[in-house]
Amino acid sequence: MTARGVAIVGGASVKWGVRPSTWSELAQEVGAALFRALPELRSEDVDSLFVGAAEPERFAFQSHVAPLAAEQMGLRPTRILQRTELACASGQSAIRSAYAAIAAGLSDLAVAVGVEKMNLPSMAEANSAMGCVMDRPWDGPHGATAPPFFAMVAQRHMLEHGTTEEQLAAVSEKNHRFANTNPNAQFYEKTFPREKLLRLPVIAPPLRLGDCSSMTDGAAAVVLASEENARRYSATPAWIRGTGQYSDFHNLANAGSLTEWVGLKHAAREAFGRAGIGPKDLDLAEVHDCFTISEIIEYESLGLCPEGAGGAFVADGRADVGGDLVVNPRGGLLGCGHPLGATGIGQALEVFQQFSRTVPAARQAPDPEWALVHNLSGSANVHSVMIYGAGGPR
Amino acid sequence: MSDSPRPRRPAAQLAREEPVATGSARDPARPAPLREKRPFLLDFFPLETEKDTRLARFYENLRAGRLTTTRCRQDGSILWPPRTACPRCHAEELEWVDLPDHGRLYAFSAVLAGAPLGMEEEVPFSVGLVDLDGVALRLFGRIEGKPWNALHVGEAVRVEPYDVGDGRVFYRFRAQP
Repeated sequence: MTARGVAIVGGASVKWGVRPSTWSELAQEVGAALFRALPELRSEDVDSLFVGAAEPERFAFQSHVAPLAAEQMGLRPTRILQRTELACASGQSAIRSAYAAIAAGLSDLAVAVGVEKMNLPSMAEANSAMGCVMDRPWDGPHGATAPPFFAMVAQRHMLEHGTTEEQLAAVSEKNHRFANTNPNAQFYEKTFPREKLLRLPVIAPPLRLGDCSSMTDGAAAVVLASEENARRYSATPAWIRGTGQYSDFHNLANAGSLTEWVGLKHAAREAFGRAGIGPKDLDLAEVHDCFTISEIIEYESLGLCPEGAGGAFVADGRADVGGDLVVNPRGGLLGCGHPLGATGIGQALEVFQQFSRTVPAARQAPDPEWALVHNLSGSANVHSVMIYGAGGPR
Repeated sequence: MSDSPRPRRPAAQLAREEPVATGSARDPARPAPLREKRPFLLDFFPLETEKDTRLARFYENLRAGRLTTTRCRQDGSILWPPRTACPRCHAEELEWVDLPDHGRLYAFSAVLAGAPLGMEEEVPFSVGLVDLDGVALRLFGRIEGKPWNALHVGEAVRVEPYDVGDGRVFYRFRAQP
């Protein structure tokens, strides 16, 4: 347990999608949105900035993005300024780093921002950027990217547990329906009924277009405060109560079981242990649905349902409003898009807004007290988990 | 990319016809080496010579038709991918060992869209995880020989070294038609 409580006290997001904006413009826009969302926030009080950005070198031909983001956002950090990179979990890494800094007394008020510009004139170039997340000289030459890897995960899950294409589509249908309550989502005002999802083109068998998250331009930011400062900015802080992380391989040859995510079980055990709660206590979860099959395995490895029962869990409505807990009420990566560095920040922002009851009723978890955020990165070889409580710092 | 598609000849056959440069004086008739030809950072294939990597032997063995990897002399671990230090005991005394040239498909899929730069013309292509016979290694790679919708889990495949087309070699798997 930490000596000093830390909470998310507010945040903002830009519209995610295919944006006619550069990396820097996205950072400027989210900075402006952040200061609008928190009128009490003064630039000079923000002592640290953590910038989640997965591949600005590839997508924007830009390194050293931490000071660039600070300049774009109008911040002058005096204590800690750094970029965090953990591929698809770069945003959560920014939040975990800010949390650690504040808990340790090295920062009192920090911003964690995530920015990713992914849509390029050449989609093949963008696909190459995604491919170099894998073990480049060994897996890369075979054409390894995320879709064929997660397609093999889906194939094994179908083989071992009887999971069906319809159950995969149930994840996508749910998350796209929630995204229709979120104007910042890439697929806002686009409907994906299950029958339509099952007719979309196959990208990497058995995964169809609707089973895969998108290439997305986006940015989001949250403010983290120490327990002494938190209520100056919000009456409903989202307190960080636990966190855990685990990594056990990188090269695809060393993945072990594709369908039981042991790393996620370790990370979740650590996070639940620190928070002193279990999966049954959760009111909502923002989990990493980079592909529909990911969300199904995450139900299982997080302990929300038995091993192999994830397909039925979603098809029976247990991950929906009115079910056991609400999973991905923001719209998930499937509905919001997946701007790598911004995703984890957008998920945390949803938790804060759920706790402050500022989301539309169609996706509001009833009286939420506990929320979990999960990101995987790469080929599910790293799992990062955070648990937030509405009740207080400890 | 303006590069020509990669030839599909087995590496051993090509080695007889067109000896591969290993850093010695170049034959002007041969295509220019990669590093002068296209940007390395947009190409997934590694640089393979002794000037570039301490694992050059892997590619030399592949050129001779052998898929090999490193084994730790201290604790006996067979490691993939090949390494210069053992991740278990951290010894740096490793030796090259041959791997089986047959295995079975543990899982597979195919890239029907969204291929990286330089691979667009190869779409659709199949990839899979292959359990090698007689050794606890499950390697990822391209699966040639059959369209993806004719493959099945458990299917026998064999290791096939191939020439990348610019002096480099790599490996893939081939299902029996």
